[in-house]
Amino acid sequence: MTAVPSSLRRYGTLIGFAAILLVFWVNLPDTFMTARNWLNITQQLSMLMVVAAGMTIVMVMGDFDLSVGSMASLAGIVAATLLAAGYPIWAAVGIALLVGLLGGAFNGVLVSLIGILPFVATLATLTIFSGAAFILSGGKTISGRAIPEAFGNFARGGIPLGEIGGVAVTLPNLTIVATLTVFVIWVLLEQTTFGRRLYAMGGNMEAAHLSGIAVRRLKLAAFALTGLSAALAGIMYASRVASANPTQGSGLMLNAIAAVFLGMTMSEHNEPRVLGTILGVLILGVLDNGLTQMSVDSYTRQILVGLIIVLAVAISSFSQGRR
Amino acid sequence: MDLLSLRDVSKSYGAAPVLRGASLAIAPGEIHALMGENGAGKSTLIKILAGVVAPDDAVIEVDGQAVTIDDPAAAHRLGLRFIHQEVNVVPALSVAENIFIGRRYPRRAALLVDWRRLEAVARDTLAKLGITHIHPRMPVGRLSLGDRMLVRISSAFLSEADAPARLYVMDEPTAALTTEEAERLFAVLREIRLSGNSVLYVSHRIDEVMALCDRATVLRDGRSIDSGRLAEITHNDLVAMMIGRRVEEAYPLRLAAPQKGVALSARDLGARGLGPVSFDVRKGEVLGIAGLEGARQRELLRVLFGDLAARSGTMLLGGQPYRPRSPNDAWRSGIAYVPRERRSEGLVISRPIFENITLAQLGSQSLAGIWLTPRREQRFATALGAEVRLKARGPRQRALELSGGNQQKVVFAKALSCEPRLLLLDEPTRGVDVGAKFDIYTIIRGMTAKGMAVILVSSDLPELIGMCDRIAIMRDGNITDIVQAEGLQEDELINRCYGCIGAAA
Repeated sequence: MTAVPSSLRRYGTLIGFAAILLVFWVNLPDTFMTARNWLNITQQLSMLMVVAAGMTIVMVMGDFDLSVGSMASLAGIVAATLLAAGYPIWAAVGIALLVGLLGGAFNGVLVSLIGILPFVATLATLTIFSGAAFILSGGKTISGRAIPEAFGNFARGGIPLGEIGGVAVTLPNLTIVATLTVFVIWVLLEQTTFGRRLYAMGGNMEAAHLSGIAVRRLKLAAFALTGLSAALAGIMYASRVASANPTQGSGLMLNAIAAVFLGMTMSEHNEPRVLGTILGVLILGVLDNGLTQMSVDSYTRQILVGLIIVLAVAISSFSQGRR
Repeated sequence: MDLLSLRDVSKSYGAAPVLRGASLAIAPGEIHALMGENGAGKSTLIKILAGVVAPDDAVIEVDGQAVTIDDPAAAHRLGLRFIHQEVNVVPALSVAENIFIGRRYPRRAALLVDWRRLEAVARDTLAKLGITHIHPRMPVGRLSLGDRMLVRISSAFLSEADAPARLYVMDEPTAALTTEEAERLFAVLREIRLSGNSVLYVSHRIDEVMALCDRATVLRDGRSIDSGRLAEITHNDLVAMMIGRRVEEAYPLRLAAPQKGVALSARDLGARGLGPVSFDVRKGEVLGIAGLEGARQRELLRVLFGDLAARSGTMLLGGQPYRPRSPNDAWRSGIAYVPRERRSEGLVISRPIFENITLAQLGSQSLAGIWLTPRREQRFATALGAEVRLKARGPRQRALELSGGNQQKVVFAKALSCEPRLLLLDEPTRGVDVGAKFDIYTIIRGMTAKGMAVILVSSDLPELIGMCDRIAIMRDGNITDIVQAEGLQEDELINRCYGCIGAAA
């Protein structure tokens, strides 16, 4: 492996991203490269950031969680149902988060204690969580006066940053929550023994076990945290639209996995890393934002995003060398 | 005229020269050894032969005719056959089908496979190599690793009209074989020699090479040394060629005698298929475990390490009751384990050296057991690396970039990270070059002198006799005998392993 292709592997995705930015900037000179647009993007992406960062935790071990989308839906429904029943906001949010933690832990039990493949186990819980969300909500959107105003106002609010270029700009609350969550997960994976052990498990499960790591317990904990972050994203979504419906999280899972994969193409040794994941989320989100502004219809957008993921991963695995 | 001759082979990767004008000449009807420490350029030379790597410079001749080997297909056309350590067979297919793999099956009428002829040809091919114990209809999945290798050789041996096999290149073929399987392999290689074809035999094992091969080419620092006829030189001559200096002793001297105190004492210890076994290891003692493959040596170590639950019996560690329920319990009690398979059990190969070394000690090498302190870890790992004479660019280098010997030293450094009072070793020098082997023995001697006890499972009989104070013989999950290692002869040890000299002796 020579120097040129390996740097292409690592930086190819970033260079591609820069090229995409340039195309949008040239084509949308007035609206694209503005603080307002970017803050808007981060707000739109805040749910995906939280889910993708959570997904990174299990992918570090080489596993997947396919149930994050339906967990996000379920948590949104749980929170909205409790709010509609008159629970205070802190209790509704707390219980919804707890549902996420327990649902994730259930995935962890299936995978680590019973030994079901993560793909199969979380595919099963995907439908279980989704079914639970439909039963709780009666298949309907929970909205309107049932949801207290303060709950919806949170997502609409933010910290005013003053005027930039004559336009009032605010840092959205959802962006702040996402940033904090990402930071916590970054600390967990990069700065603690927990993260180190997860990476070791992802590299070699047997060696990790023989080194005294409690691999089953850690695996369970990792899935629980992924479930928790999915639930948080679901609550954030419910706050943003001041309502909850049982399919609201359906797009999150595929995009989260795609973001982790995109991030892996940018990491030094092709490992999942939180910061890479967040760059992956940004790439997906910016593409979507720019293409929408250029009036590309949503079906074409889907095709383009899919092609770009394939291209990034293909360049990465191609220049890694075939042995 | 040589069957194959390579001259003035040079190859650099970037600025680092791997081969500098090396030569290799193989006569027809010869078993030729290719030796050298890890990093000496053996695998690069093989890859050049296989057409996988292009040399910067080389003259290659087959039967005196200059040739080029641009790709694997060219190597195949020239009659070169490569048999890899990880034997590529299709387990679900029969022996006969595997022998015919990649070729057209014999046909009957236009479309139907002529199974009878297929089987007859396969049987005939096996017989030509003197292999009579493998039935052509047996599914390969049921064969041992050694027998699978024989099937692969038979497949290469099955002549092709347009490109008959001339030279079989085997890379460390016996690394995972039992003694019996290796003997069978040698018999087959001798048959190949009789047929006028040649074998290039890559191996670390000096005794094996001395017994099997006619000549050797030794690589050192990218240059080659022709050993001449092996029958005319000694074991030590060959070692000296490999490491560039003479070694008088293969095993370092004992620094101190074992102490009186008992490190670990096991009584009636039993697990599935194991025991009950009873034994003591004293502080500073190396207790060897000898036995045939599958005598459950590995299970015994795993019970001591808490990875396999004991069903009966008791253990005392330093006089205290010891009942490990997980490897973590063992580490915390001061018991470390160097597993048999370095890559699949010992290392997280994709991670840096220091992360591997501290992996079992993260609790104490961090703040409050939670916060990583990479700089402190790297200092700790560097110190342990120096203790095991690890050669690496630094603690942040990834384990997969190291040679086999240095990877094993990383596993050793991890084991020493808990300052063990008992070290469990399972084939610690398998696939490790001579220099690193000696280093590992030196580490063991140094640690036992400080009072650490060692249990050493090995199939390398000279190693057991050279390193151990006492040797326990295991057969079918039981310890049948414990003997003093000093003055023990290899043949006596083998006989005891087979049970020819029983407990009555």
